Amino acid sequence: MEMIKRLLLLVFTVSALYTCSESDDNNSGSSSDNFDRQLMLTNWADNIIIPALQDLSSDLSVLITDKDAFITSPDDASLNQLRVSWLKAYKTWQYVEMFNIGKAEEILYGFQMNVYPTNINDIQANINADSYDLSNVNNHDAVGFPAVDYMICGLRATDQEILNAYSSEPNFEDNTSYLSALINQMDALTMTVLNDWTTSYRDVFVNSTANTATSATNKLTNDFVFYYEKGLRANKFGIPAGVFSSSPLKTKVEAFYNKDVSKMLSLSALDAVQDFFNGVAYNSTATGESFSAYLQYLNTINSDASLNEIINTTFNIAQTKIEGLDANLARQVETDNTKMLEAYDALQDAVVLLKVDMIQSMNISIDYVDADGD
Amino acid sequence: MKNSILSILAVVCLLSSCSNDDDSPAPSPDVVAPATYSFLRDGAKSVSYSGQTTRIVMGEEFISALKDPSKTEAQLDGMFTNTGNNFEDDVLNASSKSIRSKVAASSDFFAANATDASAIKSTFDSWIAEQVNDVYPNWGEVAVAGQSGQIQEAGGGSTRYVNNKGLELNQAINKSIIGALMTDQMLNNYLSPAVLDAGSNIEDNNAVILAEDKNYTNMEHKWDEAFGYLYGTDDQTNPQLNQDSFLNKYLSRVESDPDYAGIAQDIYDAFKLGRAAIVDNDYNVRDEQAAIIRDNVSKIIAIRSIYYLQQGKLSRISGDNGSAFHDLSEGFGFIYSLQFTRRSDSNAPYFSKGEVDNFISQLMAGNGFWDVTEGTLDTISQNIADRFDLSVTEAGS
Repeated sequence: MEMIKRLLLLVFTVSALYTCSESDDNNSGSSSDNFDRQLMLTNWADNIIIPALQDLSSDLSVLITDKDAFITSPDDASLNQLRVSWLKAYKTWQYVEMFNIGKAEEILYGFQMNVYPTNINDIQANINADSYDLSNVNNHDAVGFPAVDYMICGLRATDQEILNAYSSEPNFEDNTSYLSALINQMDALTMTVLNDWTTSYRDVFVNSTANTATSATNKLTNDFVFYYEKGLRANKFGIPAGVFSSSPLKTKVEAFYNKDVSKMLSLSALDAVQDFFNGVAYNSTATGESFSAYLQYLNTINSDASLNEIINTTFNIAQTKIEGLDANLARQVETDNTKMLEAYDALQDAVVLLKVDMIQSMNISIDYVDADGD
Repeated sequence: MKNSILSILAVVCLLSSCSNDDDSPAPSPDVVAPATYSFLRDGAKSVSYSGQTTRIVMGEEFISALKDPSKTEAQLDGMFTNTGNNFEDDVLNASSKSIRSKVAASSDFFAANATDASAIKSTFDSWIAEQVNDVYPNWGEVAVAGQSGQIQEAGGGSTRYVNNKGLELNQAINKSIIGALMTDQMLNNYLSPAVLDAGSNIEDNNAVILAEDKNYTNMEHKWDEAFGYLYGTDDQTNPQLNQDSFLNKYLSRVESDPDYAGIAQDIYDAFKLGRAAIVDNDYNVRDEQAAIIRDNVSKIIAIRSIYYLQQGKLSRISGDNGSAFHDLSEGFGFIYSLQFTRRSDSNAPYFSKGEVDNFISQLMAGNGFWDVTEGTLDTISQNIADRFDLSVTEAGS
């Protein structure tokens, strides 16, 4: 039973790592292997991150076009087209969210694009106000994809009333200008992040190979694990399923107002995670250096069980669990939350593998703390 | 581990210095603590600390009210002093207890220092006034350096309400109460021989002369009152921790830090053994346990001071002022509480009022938390760590 032997070996290895390594918060120091981190960084930047941002940028341009068309003549067709292009951009976003580094980190890009649940009161206050600063931290929960979701799917009870809100209601211009400002802002932010990558940051990034807490390798590795734990596991599944509260919170699913796309978005996110882990190029099947290759390289030194295979298997199991859910995760929570919890548990299985096994074997430290919130 | 060594050393030192007090009988060979903090006399409970429970419950309502911008200064002061029936809970309104009367009121630190006691009470009064007169009016405004208002934690987190220096006053008051009321009363009053042995308490305890109409001796009751400031809203025989917003909560937090796990059991064991020692008339063992409690509770204040300064620093670095101000405000309150800690080997706190006031000045210089530098936060953290023989790294995460 090769699998069991491998698992046992993994368990012993993990135990050994626990007992032998000190829990020190300082960084690990010099890299003790000869893996070519620059190859990995280059693959990340040139074949995954920049192409994904470029795709998002063009999706947002289409979204702007469809938004302008909708504003000019709001009807069922233009509203539907707007929703289609919003969804396309949102799916592409799932491949970008984890890269909280460089300019994105500096301007809190992720917080300005996808904080959910959105805050309807703050949105309405902005709509009514003479002016607002969308980039202010107080507005993180009133901007981005979730705010647009509300504006085009949740603003009123029926589609006809939504159309009225943008055409015939008194002060409809306030709704229109807020919707427009939101989408323009998303596009502007994305341009800023993408331009920074393509003009100067890419070179800084691919040369930042050191094993220090501030190197690109370490920061992006931390970003990846943090996104998996928080952005995917907790935000899309754990929080709505009530894992962190006394009861389930179905209104906290992603894309709550659109109702039918939350599962789809989470599958895109998991796909993005698995592709990045395996070094798969964006929108392609070509594969390059990433964590999987790194772990395989380490296998040849340490004769470990193949951690990269175990991680991929874990991802696959999680994917199967998620595929079996209702397309509307809020409805899944409502009708049978146990299945949400099972999907959460399947995702959880990879957390230890990534956060402890993978990170430690690469001699990197986790740089974030699970804050207890007061 | 270090603390166990300290305790053992403390025990060895105390045991090796014989008692000269002719009034105390020869110590019983081995005081044995019961499994839980449960003590009976003639089949009935002898443990009582309702006054402490009452003040904790008052504290809960009070700190909630501090976040209600419809409250007036008179109403908030009335909760702090328990006058004018300002609590929602009428049982509290009918009580003879109040928070303010026991703020900076310990026998050891303030019986001969009415000046400082009065200054400290006035500081609390001024924080309440500032919340009402400066922060409430700007409740709906966005806070900026030099102007109070609201600021949300990044990523759609909680909204915090801060003064013109980024100080979240309700947090500052909350955490300062932990020091000025719970810690001070416990360590510097009810665990002190000045209170435990006051009047004829020793003779009465030796002769089992009970307090009038009560099932306990005065000394037993004083010890229970110390216990009540930590466990007053918790399960006396099986503490769950995190059952209030004060000392019980932060014992829970420190206990769940692997660097300090075991502290909760150490404190509970010391309370049990000390109370058993009183029943056995063994005042040496009693005082040894008091020393253990002083050590550990003081440590909680120090650890959380460092923790919040370090966490606040990290939030600042990531550009999240809302979270930073929240953490730093909690740190502010714990630092204010440092003046109520108690060295187990002397009559002094770990930090004097003057030293604490100096820390506060540094934090609030200029535009306060809008301006404070990482260097300042690190220096203060290191000062506290050095004084308590702690590690900033361990306490800070």
